Amino acid sequence: MARAQHKRGKSGRQAANGTAVGTANGAVNGAARGAVGGTAARGRRRTRLPLRYLLPSLLLVAVVAMLLLRGYVHSEFLADHRVRPPASIDNVPEEILSGGPVLDARGEKPISHRVPDHTLVLTFDDGPDPEWTPKVLDKLREHDAHGVFFVTGTMASRYPDLVRRMVQEGHEVGLHTFNHPDLSYQSTSRIDWELSQNQLALQGAAGVRTSLFRPPYSSTADALDDESWPVTQYIAKRGYITTFIDTDTEDWQRPGVGEIMRRATPKKDGDGAIVLMHDSGGDRSQTVAALDKWLPEMAGKGYKFANLTEALKAPSAHTPVSGFERWKGKSWVLAVGVSENAMSFLVVALAIVGVLVFSRFGLMLLLSAIHARKVRKRDFVWGRFPVTEPVSVLVPAYNERECIANTVRSLAASDHPVEVIVIDDGSTDGTADIVEALRLPNVRVVRQANAGKPAALNNGVRHATCELIVMMDGDTVFEPTTVRELVQPFADPSVGAVAGNAKVGNRDSLIGAWQHIEYVMGFNLDRRMYDILRCMPTIPGAVGAFRRTALWRVGGMSDDTLAEDTDVTMALHRDGWRVVYAENARAWTEAPESVQQLWSQRYRWSYGTMQAIWKHRRAVVERGASGRFGRVGLPFVSLFMVFAPLLAPLIDVFLVYGLVFGPSAKTALAWAGVLAIQGVCAAYAFRLDHERMRHLVSLPLQQILYRQLMYVVLLQSWITALTGGRLRWQKLRRTGAVEAAPTSGREKAGAL
Amino acid sequence: MNSPRSAHEFGAHAVPGQYAATGPQADADTLSLREYATAEPGPVPGPEAASKGGGSGTHRKGGKGAAGAKGAPGRAPGRDRYLDLLRALALLRVVVYHTFGWAWLTLVFPSMGVMFALAGSLMARSLKRPAISVIRGRIRRLLLPLWVYGVVVLSILAVQGWRPTKGDEFWWWARIACWIVPIGAPSFPWEIGSNGGMLEETWAVQAAGPLWYLRAYLWFVLLSPLLLRAFRRLPWATLLAPLALTAVVGTDLVTIPGETGEAITAFGVYGSCWVLGFAHQDGLLRQLPRYVVPSVAPVFMAVGFWWATGHLGPDGWDLNDIPLSNALWSFGFCLLLLHISPSWERLPGVLARFDKPITLANSRAVTLYLWHEIALIATIPIIDVLWNIDAISDSKSLSSLLEGSYAALMFVVIWPLIGLLMAAFGWAEDVAAKRKPRLFPMK
Repeated sequence: MARAQHKRGKSGRQAANGTAVGTANGAVNGAARGAVGGTAARGRRRTRLPLRYLLPSLLLVAVVAMLLLRGYVHSEFLADHRVRPPASIDNVPEEILSGGPVLDARGEKPISHRVPDHTLVLTFDDGPDPEWTPKVLDKLREHDAHGVFFVTGTMASRYPDLVRRMVQEGHEVGLHTFNHPDLSYQSTSRIDWELSQNQLALQGAAGVRTSLFRPPYSSTADALDDESWPVTQYIAKRGYITTFIDTDTEDWQRPGVGEIMRRATPKKDGDGAIVLMHDSGGDRSQTVAALDKWLPEMAGKGYKFANLTEALKAPSAHTPVSGFERWKGKSWVLAVGVSENAMSFLVVALAIVGVLVFSRFGLMLLLSAIHARKVRKRDFVWGRFPVTEPVSVLVPAYNERECIANTVRSLAASDHPVEVIVIDDGSTDGTADIVEALRLPNVRVVRQANAGKPAALNNGVRHATCELIVMMDGDTVFEPTTVRELVQPFADPSVGAVAGNAKVGNRDSLIGAWQHIEYVMGFNLDRRMYDILRCMPTIPGAVGAFRRTALWRVGGMSDDTLAEDTDVTMALHRDGWRVVYAENARAWTEAPESVQQLWSQRYRWSYGTMQAIWKHRRAVVERGASGRFGRVGLPFVSLFMVFAPLLAPLIDVFLVYGLVFGPSAKTALAWAGVLAIQGVCAAYAFRLDHERMRHLVSLPLQQILYRQLMYVVLLQSWITALTGGRLRWQKLRRTGAVEAAPTSGREKAGAL
Repeated sequence: MNSPRSAHEFGAHAVPGQYAATGPQADADTLSLREYATAEPGPVPGPEAASKGGGSGTHRKGGKGAAGAKGAPGRAPGRDRYLDLLRALALLRVVVYHTFGWAWLTLVFPSMGVMFALAGSLMARSLKRPAISVIRGRIRRLLLPLWVYGVVVLSILAVQGWRPTKGDEFWWWARIACWIVPIGAPSFPWEIGSNGGMLEETWAVQAAGPLWYLRAYLWFVLLSPLLLRAFRRLPWATLLAPLALTAVVGTDLVTIPGETGEAITAFGVYGSCWVLGFAHQDGLLRQLPRYVVPSVAPVFMAVGFWWATGHLGPDGWDLNDIPLSNALWSFGFCLLLLHISPSWERLPGVLARFDKPITLANSRAVTLYLWHEIALIATIPIIDVLWNIDAISDSKSLSSLLEGSYAALMFVVIWPLIGLLMAAFGWAEDVAAKRKPRLFPMK
């Protein structure tokens, strides 16, 4: 997980490396390649650069828009659940209060209508509902009845098919606002919006507009009061016929089938009535059962069931729409449909992420505990004899003036015999001179023209005289015991490479503390787990040891990828070597101090890891050790380093969504729970490493700010890989063929 | 697992080895290693270059320019323009908040907490001198502007007919005494004058609005020597104690009625900010590893926010109605602001353009704070003059447009008024600081 880098952003070569992403390794290493590739790459790059920022932002905008749309049609915001208590009725005309339930106030003088005798107009509010509306429709069809459905915009948008079916089967559809507020609390602009959004949903669902309207929380006409009357007047002015009721079943209270039937029936036998029922908002089985009994019963009494305009013998309330309006409605309904589906997809993805994350935590805790127990047993030894043979330490350095003296002195203080080789990779700041001026007896300087870190390491290997080779960075400081601890695993002849324990030195700043937590977890949980599973993906560049034989067999370091350390480690696995973790081989490294430096470092790691996985993909189908790594280690590493982090931002998206649209408390609690689990894992890692816990205080903020940064970096790597990375991928395909036989002489290794 | 090829092939060009078996000879210092492992900055009271001399340091509200005595740790006499900027922002926020009444501004920038934190910092700095003289100086700088304000406000009230309550004369006069020494908040009538007069009946409530701050400030000044001693003995306990106090008296747990209750609550709400000023001055914050404050401060703010969600007041998110949230949010906010504390000798970049207004706001802080409500009250009759113009009162759309943008109009008109009031009464601040009175001190 955590590795030290060769060079930080300030240096010229780092910058070259940074821009080299996708440009066939850029100017530094590009000399060996055809100039054509270089220019082609540059041509591509110009168009690609904005994509890196554009794509993630577009993705984010799309997801947020979908979530907002979903929250919108689920009434998770803009919903207003206030209901106004009854008010005085001084200003409502008497003839309205005593008039019929159908109110046509479009003209100068409001006119009330009543349903004729022996006619019942069944009205169903608040739907459509995916479960109950079809059952209601079935019953109506069964008994040859028509009715009126007052649909809300939210439900109509979500279940357009049901609205279409209502219209097709001869029922009428009326507006019941978009998301069911008490309109007497709303401004006129909000009322306009409620109506137009409701119509939009109707247009999209069934291709009609309607002139029928029923206000939410309304009842009989004589229940109008001084608060609701002006609203009713306003809506009438907009061309709607307001439909109140005669009988209210109050079926939403589920009073029992018999009671619903009793309440629905007009007081006087033979009177017409508008009956209020509901096909949404909860369990409507009683409503459906009541319809089944009541419809034939009333039909027996000579009643017929018509929709409103049939009953009043008026022209239909529906106006078909076409052209732009129709398309507008359709695209609305489509957008809602997409957001609904996307949401279910996201929920599934979130569940997958959750399972992955938690099983990874579990596995990490378990395996790291096993590993720690194993290597900390008092009688634990790697081999029969401790390793005492001298070791070559390679220090590739490019403009490391500030740190190199400390680095070299710390090596000179080593309690294990070492031969230090500083490979000066064409530094311009006198790094080599500083080392020579130290005049330490066992330290040599090798100078080379600037050729990149892999070349410097290969050059160092050529100059090294020992079988065991330690590699470190020019800005890293070893403890006196580090080298000895690092090479002890070589007592086991099957061990080909050893990863040490890199520690963040500058951990006092916030960004340093975050990286400290990340390193401690990475080295004490991830690496122990990988050690047990035998699929360690990376020997950190800051502190790692190799058997020269093993290195030679895989062809040394390669500059095929931006992460030569991951590349070589995977090659070693495929060659059948064990790669293990030495917890006591501590190296102190300086972590990037600015977001920009961190960004470019992590971008290189993450893109380099993807390149290395791709480069070694053939291992999946190979036999022997390589196949074992390819079928176990490689998928495991890909899953947790490349794929899972891609979905992980969902956790944050849902966190924000849940906090904003509710249930806020539950969301916060769930998030705190995940945080607590992370805290436990981190605390365990700190304990394994004997670190003080106080840095964990920055864990919550790390989870909110730092993790997201890492996601964006990974996303950017993905985009580079999928869009502009093609040139490099092609090149990798060529070397990939060679890779199939890692022991055969490689042309590239001829440089060695 | 041995390679079929010899390892020597690999190192064919190797230079003959010159390594010697090197034990831990030459006890070369692994200094940087140790630095990494244990380094902890000492108690650095970041010395600030005293490049600016002269009188520039002398017009800080309640501050003594000469405080940075020789050799004393702490800030040199040059003004920290960052703190000046914060104070100016706090004042601006107060005026905007009182003009527009946006409750959420209390979250965006908890002005009062910031003011108390800054004042606490200065108090700690001054208390290197004998406490008595410091307190005397502070009180003088507080009281003189208040008296001027009191004379004006009380005169108007007397003209409007405010008289002692019958049968309760003693307490009436006792509360009036608070206009002289605001150990409690100065009293005022809830309604005075007649409806439809030039002043609204409740203008006195508005005019007395800022006065609680003076009471709280006086309390803090008087208690500072004690608080500072407690802080130096038990820094963390003293820092957090006012929050604990707020958790008791600022919630429904214990309710202390009346003026005493309000005073104690205010003390609790802003006490931690005040002591935070001590911590800033003493370098306590700088002794912490840098990651601590940004990690911990949001926790205080989050708890405060969470508490607010369950205890929204009549104005919703107005923290002034939610003491515990206000205390926690202000504390966390000030913690972050004082953690950043870049110690500017001069304002950087774009901010430099606002150099003069910021200086003016700082040298007239008390005047600005005290009189801005009066200015706000005065904007109303001035704006209402617009309706005397026939073109406006006749046009329905024009007058409704003006009505819709009334607050914005007030915000435009208030600044010249504040300028006038500063010119008229700002001298009190200079006199209280024993300086030559100036009209608009902007340098």
